[in-house]
Amino acid sequence: MSAVAIIGTGQTRHASRRDDVSQPELVREAAEAALADAAVGPDEVDAVLLANMELFEGRALPELWAGAGAFAAGKPCMKVATGGTSGTSGCIAAFHQVAAGLFDLVLVVGFEKHSEGHSQTGMALTDPFWDRAVASGALGNFALSISQYVAERGATAEQAALVAVKARRNAARNPHAHLRMGDLTVEEVLSSRMLADPVRLLDMCPQSDGACAIVVASAAAARRRSRRPAWVLAAETRHEQPYIGDIDRRLVTMRTLRDAARVAYRRAGIGDPLTDLDVAEIYEPVSYAELAWYEALGFCADGDAGRLVEEGVTGMEGELPVNPSGGVLSSNPVGASGVIRVAEAALQIHGRGGERQVEGARLALATGYGVYAWADAVVLGAEAGAT
Amino acid sequence: MTAGAIAAEPLGVACPMDLGWRYASGAAMERFLAGLRERRIEALRCDGCGRRYLPPRPLCGDCRLPLDRWVPVAAAGTLEAWSVYRLPILDGRTGEPRPTPYGIGLVRLDGADTTINHLLAETDPGRLRIGLRVRAVWREELRGALDDILHFEVAR
Repeated sequence: MSAVAIIGTGQTRHASRRDDVSQPELVREAAEAALADAAVGPDEVDAVLLANMELFEGRALPELWAGAGAFAAGKPCMKVATGGTSGTSGCIAAFHQVAAGLFDLVLVVGFEKHSEGHSQTGMALTDPFWDRAVASGALGNFALSISQYVAERGATAEQAALVAVKARRNAARNPHAHLRMGDLTVEEVLSSRMLADPVRLLDMCPQSDGACAIVVASAAAARRRSRRPAWVLAAETRHEQPYIGDIDRRLVTMRTLRDAARVAYRRAGIGDPLTDLDVAEIYEPVSYAELAWYEALGFCADGDAGRLVEEGVTGMEGELPVNPSGGVLSSNPVGASGVIRVAEAALQIHGRGGERQVEGARLALATGYGVYAWADAVVLGAEAGAT
Repeated sequence: MTAGAIAAEPLGVACPMDLGWRYASGAAMERFLAGLRERRIEALRCDGCGRRYLPPRPLCGDCRLPLDRWVPVAAAGTLEAWSVYRLPILDGRTGEPRPTPYGIGLVRLDGADTTINHLLAETDPGRLRIGLRVRAVWREELRGALDDILHFEVAR
C-alpha cells in the first residue's frame, strides 16, 4: 500500500431546506469547491465516489444525476450507502483505490437533501419482519441505547447538555453550519421539548440539506500539487451483527468503534489519543453519544466522559478540541456528514480552518457512525507515515 | 418574470405514492412466525458460542456457523432498555402516523440471549426502569407476525 493524502476539501452551506438548488446542483456546489481548493480541474479527476442514502429522498439511482454534478461522466463512479458511515466509508473506499495504485486523483462527494423526503420513516423501513412494527427511527434507537448508557455509566442530562452547547457554540464560528447558536445555554437545552426520554430537542442533530467533497491524491500527486497535504495514517471500518438487540448494551460496549479506533491508533502510532491527537471530528448525532464515543475512543476511562466536557478538555481551548465544526449536532446531511468529518479533520491539518482552526494541528481523528451496524475511524497527519 | 429571475417560491413537484411490497420470510423466520400463531416463541441456539438468537436467523455472525438448534423462549422477560417516544412518526408498515406518546423497550425474553425491540404499554417514564419484569400482551386474532404481540406490559 502506498501513501495517500487529502489535498482539497469543499462543502455547501448546510440548511434545513436548500430549495435554491436541485440535488445535482448541491453536489456540484461541493465538488467545485473541493476541486478549486485542490487546484484540480474536473478533467484531471480519475474516479468519483459518491455517498448518499437514497431511500431518505425516495429517488432511485440518484448517482445518475448527482454523478453529473460531480463531473463523473466517462469515469469510474460508484456509491457507498451505509447509513451515517456512508461518507466516511466513501472516503475510505477512495483511500483504498488510490493506495492500491488504481488512481492518482479521486473525488469523493457525500450529499443528502432531507427536506425532499421522509428520513425518519425511511429509517423505519428496515427489516419488514422485525423492525417495521416497532421501529422508531434513529431517535428511538438512540433513546433505548442511551437509557442503558446512563444507567451503567452515570452520565447526566447536564453533561449531555454541555455537549449540545459546545457543538452549537462551535458551529457559530463555522460559516457552513446549519445550527449556529453562539449564545445557547445549558438551561435552554434542559428545557427544550422532550422527544424520547431522555433525549430533548436540543440534544438531537437537525436534518440538513448539504453536500461535502474531498480530493484524494496519491503520494506523488499530493507532493506535486499541495504544500500541506493531510496524509491518511489510518482508515478502519467495522461492521456489526444485524439486529439492534444482538448488541448487548450498545453504547456501553460499542465494539465497532472501539475496534476500529484501537487498530487505527496502532497503525498511526498513537499511544494516548487524548494527548497525542490535536483535534477530533466525531460523528455524534445526539449529545449523549459524544460522551459514549469519548469512552469508546479511549479519550478517558469508562464512566469519565462527563468530566471531560465539564472541565472543557474537549472545548476549543482544551487539550483535545472535539468537533470545532459544530459536528453532526449542528449539521446533518447524512450522506455528507461522514465526508464532513474527514474534510474538517483535513482542513485542520491544511491549516485552513479559519475561525474554527485549532492552532498548529498536526494529528487529527475523524469518525463515522452508521446506526448500530458500522463504525469508521480515520487518522490524518501533517507528515506521511511509514508505508 | 424576466429571464434569470428567481421565483420567491421555487418550483417543485409533489410525488405521493401508495405502493405495496411483499417479502419472503425464509426458512428460519417461517418457522418462527408459524409458532407465533400458536403463541409459541422459539430462538435458534449457536453450537459454537451457545448464544440463543431472537430473531432466529440462518447464521451466527460471530462464529460464522449455521444455526439449526431450536430452543423454547418464554413470552415474558426483563426490560433491558426503555424510552417514551413523543415525536410524530409514520408507521413503517402502514405509512400512517403512529399515536404518541408510546413506550419502547428492549426486552430479554426468558430463554433468549439477545433482546427484542418492541412497544411498551406503559408511557409514564416514572414507572419504567431497567430490570422490570414484563410480559407479552397478545393480539386476539393471531396472524403470524411480530405484532401478534401488541406490546409488553409490566408484570405486577
